[in-house]
Amino acid sequence: MVAGMAKKSLPVSESTYFILAALLDGPLHGHGIIKHVLGMSEGRVKLPVGTLYGALDRLAGGGLIAVEREEVVDGRPRRYFRLTDDGTRLVLTEAERMRQAASVVTGRALPGSAFVPLTSPAAAGLALGRRPVWRPALT
Amino acid sequence: MTTTPRPAPGPLERRYRRMLLAYPRGYRAGHGEELIATLLATAEPHRSTPPLTEAVALLAGGLRTRAVQAARGPAWADAVHLAITALSVANVAMLLPYAGTIPVWTGLAVFTAVAVARRRFWLALPAAGLTCVKVAAIGLGLPWLDGTLLPVFADPLPREWGVPALLSMGGPAAPATAHAMVFLGAAVLAVRWAAPRARSWRWALAVPLLIGVNTDMRALTDPTATPGRTALEIGLLLLAGWAGHVAADPRWALAALLYLPVEVVELAENIGTATRGDYAHLALLVFLTGAAAAAVHRSRRHALL
Repeated sequence: MVAGMAKKSLPVSESTYFILAALLDGPLHGHGIIKHVLGMSEGRVKLPVGTLYGALDRLAGGGLIAVEREEVVDGRPRRYFRLTDDGTRLVLTEAERMRQAASVVTGRALPGSAFVPLTSPAAAGLALGRRPVWRPALT
Repeated sequence: MTTTPRPAPGPLERRYRRMLLAYPRGYRAGHGEELIATLLATAEPHRSTPPLTEAVALLAGGLRTRAVQAARGPAWADAVHLAITALSVANVAMLLPYAGTIPVWTGLAVFTAVAVARRRFWLALPAAGLTCVKVAAIGLGLPWLDGTLLPVFADPLPREWGVPALLSMGGPAAPATAHAMVFLGAAVLAVRWAAPRARSWRWALAVPLLIGVNTDMRALTDPTATPGRTALEIGLLLLAGWAGHVAADPRWALAALLYLPVEVVELAENIGTATRGDYAHLALLVFLTGAAAAAVHRSRRHALL
């Protein structure tokens, strides 16, 4: 069921991807995941708490994460979540899928981009659908 | 592990606790404190009101959790039960303004609704059957079972609100169909001995709501004259589609489907005087019901992650 779920669910949402990626470094509790995701995404993905725990419930229900341990801090319970093997496989598969998808664009340098230069100036024109007006720097 | 006493709740925590009421009680008992701790840990210092994004996420998360938890057990039985609970409550709302004139039949409608909600299907069957026959008889001018004949005027208080005489604006096929659907649904659940969960007593609150939205009391007879009812139908169908989407479960879409026969009969009954608005109303309900079913189908094909 889990394998089927993982297979059918690609691509996962950005929030889910970052949650799974955050857990690659080891078990984290809810606040830890939010901080980690915020840092990894350079401040772009700020998970609301309601969204985070909804996603954690679904991921745990799908067998992609599991509760590692529970603690009580300042009188309040705290669960630490870890990736399961299925979860690790899913996030790695998704990363590879996105890497491949990104390479379609990053493999060809476009005017003004910081990507690796393309092999021929003509390719830039092809990519833009017009004659090339930009040349990669030779230095 | 630290076990220091918990500090006294501030205004932000109190507000978050109120928002957590969107979650089911069992979920709050299990994870409410953990959510509160995370919410407070992520809050900006000196903040006393929750940010809008957190508030919306908590509301959506709570409703999603409720939908997922409600999607347990056999979907078809729960769908039939949900549909006939809603219809039996609507039947009560239709007859209640005339309780002074037809107390027995109104009482039977109330009895049917309670029996259905509490899963006493064998008790609901005769009551639903009798009420169905009687509503049809009153509409057809036949003094079956007792001598009640039209006009049946509303009780003094609802009459002051503008409630017209019973079935004076249309019927009786559509109201009789609504009762018949309750009878048939209860029969199926009784014979199959299906045991969907009991419905909350809070369904009783729907009775004044339904009387209110049917502003001219054309319950189940003329939807286009009652925008409140149409708005309620659209809202419930959108909610059904959303719940089916997040829980990947067809029970709400199925329940909506079981409501459609009443609407079709209503249009057929008034086909001679039906306006474009009536056709548009039915088409909209059919579309939203189909969309709710499609949302479930899509969720089942693509697990939500």
